[in-house]
Amino acid sequence: MEVPILKQGDILIASIQGALTDTDLLRMQEKLVCRVRDYRSKGVVIDVTVLDVMDSFAARTLRSIAIMTRLLGAKVVIAGIQPDIALSMVQLGLALEGAMTSLDLEDGIAMLNSAARKQGLCQYGN
Amino acid sequence: MPLSPTQFSDKFLTLAEMMGITAREVERRMKFLQFAPEDEARLQQLEPISEARIDSVVEAFYEHLLSFEEMKAFFPDAAVLDRVKAGQKAYFHRLTQGNYDPDYIEDRVRIGAIHEQINLPVNFYLAMYNFYMREVSKHIFSAGFDNPDEATAIFLSLTKLIFLDISLAVDTFIESRERTIRALQQESIRELSTPVLPFREGMLLLPIIGQIDSQRARQLTEHLLVSIRANRAKVIVIDITGVATVDSRVANHLVQTVDAARLMGAKVVISGISPEIALTMVTLGIDLGPIYTVGDLQNGIEHAERLLGYRVEKIVEQKDFKGDNL
Repeated sequence: MEVPILKQGDILIASIQGALTDTDLLRMQEKLVCRVRDYRSKGVVIDVTVLDVMDSFAARTLRSIAIMTRLLGAKVVIAGIQPDIALSMVQLGLALEGAMTSLDLEDGIAMLNSAARKQGLCQYGN
Repeated sequence: MPLSPTQFSDKFLTLAEMMGITAREVERRMKFLQFAPEDEARLQQLEPISEARIDSVVEAFYEHLLSFEEMKAFFPDAAVLDRVKAGQKAYFHRLTQGNYDPDYIEDRVRIGAIHEQINLPVNFYLAMYNFYMREVSKHIFSAGFDNPDEATAIFLSLTKLIFLDISLAVDTFIESRERTIRALQQESIRELSTPVLPFREGMLLLPIIGQIDSQRARQLTEHLLVSIRANRAKVIVIDITGVATVDSRVANHLVQTVDAARLMGAKVVISGISPEIALTMVTLGIDLGPIYTVGDLQNGIEHAERLLGYRVEKIVEQKDFKGDNL
């Protein structure tokens, strides 16, 4: 399943629509990193609200996206992790170090905005 | 018949061992009952009588048992009844065969556990033993021992052994009742003591009271995560004033809870670390890592308010508060 990547001002929103295979994840990773470079984006929100399973490969991919985009100068927020997924991730030791996390998409965007304000940059989004 | 402690050293813990009925304990009980090697020898004299009479005793036993409505429920069909009868015969016969070794003890404990599991009332259990003794006594006294005292002595030896068996079975009853009560108690403590309180918009308060074990930590974390979602919380204050001890296991649970909350986009402040707990944690080398901790709940709430951008101010000066113009 293709993950649509939406551009909203200075940030990109990757909105996951359903269960993803490993190939889908890798494709999303590649596409996101390219878009960050192409659009010179300052932040990325990956919305995982619909995911009801997060395996170690998915968690690792999210983590590497966070690290890669940081190298390109953008912050990553993982938004909308479900309560039971959060619990099982922690128990499996998949803590997503390096990525910020938020309750949902709205909070994720707000988080990137406030981080930008702190740095004295212009506000993302609208 | 002294039992050597090594006889009990099986690879797996037996039921009896789990209940603390060791070889030494069995020996002690036998001493209390004054059960001597002579008793064992006397009981063995009973074997031929038992051999001949066991069937009629067991038949009479179950006839009496089944005359009670509530007992019939334990024997849904003939196959079960036959199986139980066979077991009962084997047991009664076993009483007269000597060598009351750890296997014998384990068997008694196991039978007690089974009776407890099927909820057989203890009074029935005792009444049935009494019935059996009365039946057997008839046969012993009519067996025609040369010396009439001999029959009495045999009967008394049997009584001793049966009292030992009863004590074992009753212990099993008590043990499993206690276990049930403990489990119920823990369950209710668990339910009582993990409230998640919305304190301000975006702030949750989670006071933890009592012991944290893996199951409770999991329950608590689940509850917290669901509440984070429901209340759209940004900051959580976990107050552990009511947690008596913090060892590495508890610390590990706390770290997991904090990590899970972070994945949901919430920050956690842990409050209520007393000087004693701080000392233990340092002594044990426990590191809570990047978790923000404060001494008491007040500090915790103040810090959480700062994180959320609240500023709480007094609107009345202290001296006015005491004065007339309140």
